Amino acid sequence: MLQCIFLLSDSGEVLLEKQLTGHRVDRAICDWFWNQILTQGDSLKLVPVISSPTHYLFQVVREGITFLACTQIEMPPLMAIEFLCRVADVLSNYLDGLNEDLIKDNFVIVYELLDEMIDNGFPLTTEPNILREMIAPPNIVSKVLSVVTGNTSNVSNTLPGATASCVPWRKTDLKHATNEVYVDLVEEMDATINRDGNLVKCEIYGEVQVNSNLSGLPDLTLSFANPSVFNDVRFHPCVRLRPWELNQILSFVPPDGQFKLMSYRVKKLKSTPIYVKPQFTSDSGTCRISVLVGIRNDPGKSIDNITVEFRLPPCVTSSDLSPNYGSVNVLADKTCSWTIGRMPKDKAPSMSGTLVLETGMERLHVFPTFQVAFRIMGVALSGLKIDKLDLKNPLSRPHKGFRALTRGGEFQVRS
Amino acid sequence: MAPPAQSHRSPSPSQPSGKGEVSDLKTQLRLLAGSRAPGTDDTKRELFKKVISYMTIGIDVSSVFSEMVMCSATSDIVLKKMCYLYVGNYAKHNPDLALLTINFLQRDCKDEDPMIRGLALRSLCLLGVANLVEYLVGPLGNGLKDGNSYVRMVAAVGVLKLYHLSASTCLDADFPPLLKQLMLKDKDSQVVANCLTSLQEIWSLEASTSEEAARERETLLSKPIVYYFLNRMKEFSEWAQCIILELVSKYAPMDTEEIFDIMNLLEDRLHHANGAVVLAIIKVFLHMTLSMTDVHQQVYERIKAPLLTLVSSGSPEQSYAVLSHLHLLVMRAPYIFSSDYKHFYCQYNEPFYVKKLKLEMLTAVANESNTYEIVTELCEYVANVDISMARESIRAVGKIALQQYDVNAIVDRLLQFLEMEKEHVTAETLVLVKDLLRKYPQWSHDCIAVVGNISSKNVQEPKAKAALIWMLGEYAQDMQDSPYILEGLVENWDEEDSTEVRLHLLTAVMKCFLRRAPETQKALGDALAAGVADFHQDVRDRALLYYRLLKYDVSVAKRIVNPPKQAVSVFADTQSSEMKDRIFDEFNSLSVVYQKAQFLQPSYMFTDKEHRGPFAFSEELGNLSIGTEPSDAAVAAQRVEANDNDLLLGTSEKEEGHGYRSNGSAYSAPSYNASTTAGASQGHFDLVSIDQPSTVHPPASFAIDDLLGLGMPAAPSSAPPTLLLNAKASIDANAFQQKWRQQSISLSQETSIDPRGVAGMMNPQALPQHMQGHSINCIASGGQAPKFKFFFFAQKEDGSSAYLVECIINSSSCRVQLKIKADDQATSQAFSELFQSALAKFGSA
Repeated sequence: MLQCIFLLSDSGEVLLEKQLTGHRVDRAICDWFWNQILTQGDSLKLVPVISSPTHYLFQVVREGITFLACTQIEMPPLMAIEFLCRVADVLSNYLDGLNEDLIKDNFVIVYELLDEMIDNGFPLTTEPNILREMIAPPNIVSKVLSVVTGNTSNVSNTLPGATASCVPWRKTDLKHATNEVYVDLVEEMDATINRDGNLVKCEIYGEVQVNSNLSGLPDLTLSFANPSVFNDVRFHPCVRLRPWELNQILSFVPPDGQFKLMSYRVKKLKSTPIYVKPQFTSDSGTCRISVLVGIRNDPGKSIDNITVEFRLPPCVTSSDLSPNYGSVNVLADKTCSWTIGRMPKDKAPSMSGTLVLETGMERLHVFPTFQVAFRIMGVALSGLKIDKLDLKNPLSRPHKGFRALTRGGEFQVRS
Repeated sequence: MAPPAQSHRSPSPSQPSGKGEVSDLKTQLRLLAGSRAPGTDDTKRELFKKVISYMTIGIDVSSVFSEMVMCSATSDIVLKKMCYLYVGNYAKHNPDLALLTINFLQRDCKDEDPMIRGLALRSLCLLGVANLVEYLVGPLGNGLKDGNSYVRMVAAVGVLKLYHLSASTCLDADFPPLLKQLMLKDKDSQVVANCLTSLQEIWSLEASTSEEAARERETLLSKPIVYYFLNRMKEFSEWAQCIILELVSKYAPMDTEEIFDIMNLLEDRLHHANGAVVLAIIKVFLHMTLSMTDVHQQVYERIKAPLLTLVSSGSPEQSYAVLSHLHLLVMRAPYIFSSDYKHFYCQYNEPFYVKKLKLEMLTAVANESNTYEIVTELCEYVANVDISMARESIRAVGKIALQQYDVNAIVDRLLQFLEMEKEHVTAETLVLVKDLLRKYPQWSHDCIAVVGNISSKNVQEPKAKAALIWMLGEYAQDMQDSPYILEGLVENWDEEDSTEVRLHLLTAVMKCFLRRAPETQKALGDALAAGVADFHQDVRDRALLYYRLLKYDVSVAKRIVNPPKQAVSVFADTQSSEMKDRIFDEFNSLSVVYQKAQFLQPSYMFTDKEHRGPFAFSEELGNLSIGTEPSDAAVAAQRVEANDNDLLLGTSEKEEGHGYRSNGSAYSAPSYNASTTAGASQGHFDLVSIDQPSTVHPPASFAIDDLLGLGMPAAPSSAPPTLLLNAKASIDANAFQQKWRQQSISLSQETSIDPRGVAGMMNPQALPQHMQGHSINCIASGGQAPKFKFFFFAQKEDGSSAYLVECIINSSSCRVQLKIKADDQATSQAFSELFQSALAKFGSA
């Protein structure tokens, strides 16, 4: 099991060290690790599980912070990686973001959290809801409170009720002044369009996010109008699996606050809402580029936050790009990003320009891949529809709300 | 990239240099120690924070230990936590001071707040000072009986910590039975799970010395206990579920009904959001159904979707770990995933190690129905900016072509690559075209037309150059200017750094000469001259071999260098099914993910050699089989049979170690450096019929002169051995032993054995049987890879002389040591020849 966890800054400095077992792990391992990163060029190029001469190392990188865990014995790899991801999630949730300064300022809280999340190398509680009851987050409210009351402790003096309750993700006696529950469908479209403009692959990865502020111990059922669209589903531990197997109904006692109720995958979609058509024509050392963007299948709602990003091939020495809509930015590392924003009603956005190639190079023969981002509010492109949300044993009639949203995920257009 | 991590070791001016600040803190803390004034806690908290932050950046603050302990009397829980943290960090190295903390920790263990009780107990167990263990027993015992589950949970793990500190104390206090009780009774699932982890570890470690512990460890895997956990499964946290599932995967169900019960119970958990749980369940399923072929297939079908979802959701780190496991499954049962090939398409922004895994999977799942699309996709990667990606993609295309699906289209594609005029693409493609031609000679016309247009000047990489040269030699007839290109290359002999290329050049010129003598004569003369003068032993040897062959008889040379070729039907599989099975034992273990850590030496940790075996060797296998050179005529003709043995060879290789490691991949061009020993032994039986090798290297000019007088009369070959053996000779082991002791060694020789013979060694009876066919009987055999030892006995036809042989075969180096004892010493040489010729036939029959 895990023997030690280090948090490293983006310059390799040890921000935090948490020894988990009696076998201490020397900090020198971080130097070794950082050397690897330096010689490999980029932490993202390093495999998540590597072996040092003395330990096996797991690394998860979030916002420039490296979460590094060490072990010397065999263990399920995903247990370590999932756990580190959870730590990262919980920390960024607690600290409202994740960066070097936040961790340095709040290291005591980080230590406290790690203390509760893992003991002797075995993960314990990683449910954010429960952790919040054991260790109060350093938010403004508690800061104000501490000033007013003079009590600076950010730890509740009682143990959370949930550790003893039969629903481990929820404490028993919750009271909310407002009784409300919101369900969001958030979908990401992953698509690959090849050189000839054909859709090579198109998939939707979606999540059902719930924000529940309900008093007491509410029991909810959520049903879909068309559950047959799912190719595969994954559930939060609160979901009872039997009703799903039988009737495709989600029955659960929700944790308090925001959480991910389920995630799903819908395969084999036939079309994308927008198209991006890049074109290159080379002629004696220069290359004309033109990129067209437009609506292919009108989703019925407006498409906004559109950006098209691509990286100029290394053989391009200079570029001159101009759009008829939106703005183009070329960064030092040759990344071009064309921000379109909301799709205009009256014209199709296009961008054109010339690329100057290295001397001696007649025509371009490596072509960039275009990353497309967009957002459509109010539509779940998978076609998934929520049928209804019922509450058993509510204390009062709650307010219910539903929303849907589709974003471009790994939406790539090759040229 | 920012400066390396050393920065915290040599503090920069902006950081506290330590000494001054620490002593400052010390005095401040001391002032506060006894104070009960209001607001003390706030000041303390600031100071503690400073101490901890110094500790975190690596400054030694152990000198304030006693002050910290003095200040620990507080009711503030954050202060307590910081204090525990500090104490836990320094107690181990300051055992004397640690004693100071015992008191307040023990007091806290009796606090009325369960959280403080728990935390204090945890810290107490983490002190890690061996001579303080006696103070642990009491609080731990109380902790296990505590009314609050939080404290029991901490205590259950605490027992394990105590065990690691002092096993005897832990066992003497009878903690394991207590834990077991708790595990089977406690209402809180986390307490139960912690008891399980502690017990598992304690009992496995004790099992080697204590029978009772071994028995207890077995009971953990007994039906009632496993079922107890399974029935409570839903109560456990996701992490605890992982631990329990790991236990279940070791459980051996009695019958199929039980297997189905367990699988039904667990199946819905495949929807769990935590990837670790899903993988743990998959492991249980795979293990339980290993012996039930059809159910095993269904399991694959069932776990496919959850795995694919896990890959596409989650962070890159998670999806890589899942992908590694998926890779394992795909490699084992590619056909099940063949319709999901689109999942293995690469995104351009994925890291290279992910793309590489995906390429391998794409290659594996290719079949009749999807090859076209997969190859189309792969071709898009070839134009990729990332050079290593382009190379890997070309290799993948080649591998698919060698799998025999839709070759037609693929060859066209490959030829298009050659027209892309990118050096790395051309180089990689050439190597592939060469392999393809060996398998599909019918494509030679199309390929040669394109290959002929490639200027050898544009090809710099040794492997590609070697491939091009091979084709120039092999297809000299079809390529108009092949002799002239070769001639140009020979002229630049001295500039050619790669031995491999020079060797190929020699062979190619030789082949070309045998087909188009007038045009190539000059080139051959130059090449042989340069080859004989070469500083590299292998090159020199080959040049001499060719020279003597030509001198001896051109038709023999032709037969040897340019025999009619059979197409290679099967390239050796890179992993035998047995190995894949073995990998399966490791499903959901680190080694699956670790497999790809290319830049690291294997470390000592998973000490079990078996664990790493399959991965480390998959590369070498390719080299052994494909690396044995196509132009070595005699071998090429028999290649087809040879390949049947290659799998076996692979298995024997595996045990032997890393003898043949080379950096080439399975589809690299023929690699001489990897197979010099093998090459030597292949040369062996061609050479026997040629006149005695002279030890004097003929001067270069002589070689050229001699070329003009080709077709010299053949030198008489050495007389066939006249020795005949008694087919029914027999001796009993004792008599043999006695005889062996009495006689002195009449002949001691070292020779080599055909690698295919080595493959045959896997069956210990194969060699004795073979030798018996030559009237040589095996008396005794033994040893294990790589060293085998045999004693043989033979008798002269007329019974006048007996021969005793001790034969030691090293299967990794293919060397054979012979010690022969004979009644009639005069005939021992003849017998030795007979014996060696019999041995040489072993494996080729």
